[in-house]
Amino acid sequence: MMTKNIVSYGVYLPFLRIKRDEYVNALGSCSAAIKEKAVMDIDEDVITMAVEAARDAIADVDISQIGVLTLASTNFPYQEKVMTGTVIEALRLNKNVLTCQHGNSALAGTEAFLAALGMLEQTEQKYALVIVSDSLSADASMDIEHGFGAAACAFVLAKDEPGLEFEGAYAYTGESMGLRYRLPGETSVRDIGVKTYATQAYNDTVKNAVWGLLGQLGRNPVDYSHVILHQNDVKTASALGKKIGFNEEQMKEGLLFNLVGDTGACSAMLGLCQVLDNIASNDKVIVCSYGSGAGSHALSFKSTNQLLKRTKSFKAMLNKKQYINYIQYLKLKRNI
Amino acid sequence: MGAHISIPMYQRAVPQRYRLAGQKCLKCGKVNFPPKAVCKYCLTGAEFEEIQLSGRGIVYSYTVIAGGGAPPEFSEEARCKGKYPVVLVELEEGPRVIAQLVNPPAEGITIGMKVEAVFRKIYEEEGVIRYGFKFRPATSDS
Repeated sequence: MMTKNIVSYGVYLPFLRIKRDEYVNALGSCSAAIKEKAVMDIDEDVITMAVEAARDAIADVDISQIGVLTLASTNFPYQEKVMTGTVIEALRLNKNVLTCQHGNSALAGTEAFLAALGMLEQTEQKYALVIVSDSLSADASMDIEHGFGAAACAFVLAKDEPGLEFEGAYAYTGESMGLRYRLPGETSVRDIGVKTYATQAYNDTVKNAVWGLLGQLGRNPVDYSHVILHQNDVKTASALGKKIGFNEEQMKEGLLFNLVGDTGACSAMLGLCQVLDNIASNDKVIVCSYGSGAGSHALSFKSTNQLLKRTKSFKAMLNKKQYINYIQYLKLKRNI
Repeated sequence: MGAHISIPMYQRAVPQRYRLAGQKCLKCGKVNFPPKAVCKYCLTGAEFEEIQLSGRGIVYSYTVIAGGGAPPEFSEEARCKGKYPVVLVELEEGPRVIAQLVNPPAEGITIGMKVEAVFRKIYEEEGVIRYGFKFRPATSDS
């Protein structure tokens, strides 16, 4: 049977950061348990971040062998337009690659990943490129805005080439009303503001996806070296991980919320990138996404080989930054 | 409804704007960027091989746009930032190109500084986003 593996990956973090203290100084409080978060510059959007992450991922890949491109974001700059076209031109990919775009919820990232796995069967080419790029937005007056960050990551999937082998997926999706949503034409996410219900929906959905996956593969939490859960904040994700049966050691490298903020569709996939920087052979990894509304995808991987060496480490990217103040932040967001 | 810009002209320039597609003159071997109908170096070659420029180069010269000096398409950026640097970059392959420098170093820009191309929004007109290249201080050594 054909195996499908991640053979290369790339990351883009915006250069600008804002610290939690800036919110506290300006507003008296900060509703998000961040240390700092990544902020897009005025000339960045999810497409520019997507291109940069993808360039990082394909630097040592034969791009003529890429036959699939899937792109995910909850915040595309156009509501209608084929944005994979922009990416194809910028990366000089074949114009006959099979493409799709995923959006509408933070589940988009793993949706694009799963879609690429399926689409690989429809092409003679060896590789699929998955790009997840996200930046969330809400009105500056809303508490939920405080944690909204931005980032992009990209993965090259290959047929029968050793790397991080995909082992299986389990989905859990159902109705959970009015927690976090956005209406057509609106740029701001709405939130009912009742954290208890939001956390309850997150806990139930993610837990069922992870348990389902463990059951399907006949595994236990201790079989995994790394687990990365979607993060609306670190505390909730850590508490849930422990409840499922994972320990701090298994979770620590996938936790990024306190340094980059809520990166929506990117959240769990970005955590995977940090884990991949130091992964050992035979390590097993669980990645679990979450989208409000609500749904969750748990994905299982096994490391079979060293991935392509990267020129920039995740840590180096986290450290390459410039802090801005809250006024500059509001200007970048075009609030003033 | 029409457009302020020539769509065919913009469309033709997409490969050079999005990914620095250059051309190598088959007669004299020099690299032209942006692509030309006739080689700007030997002035006779009209056949070219398309090449992908690396985006790496050094700052040959620079200026800072401030105090209302920005053209209208960049005025929003100028209002937000107060000022922004524009660099003349000598690319590894030879051509010199003008573009903005993002993430300028706090200690200032220097002639000869290593830079690399980055994909950004250049400006927006009629609701259409014009993507293209800018430069940033080189990070590949980090």
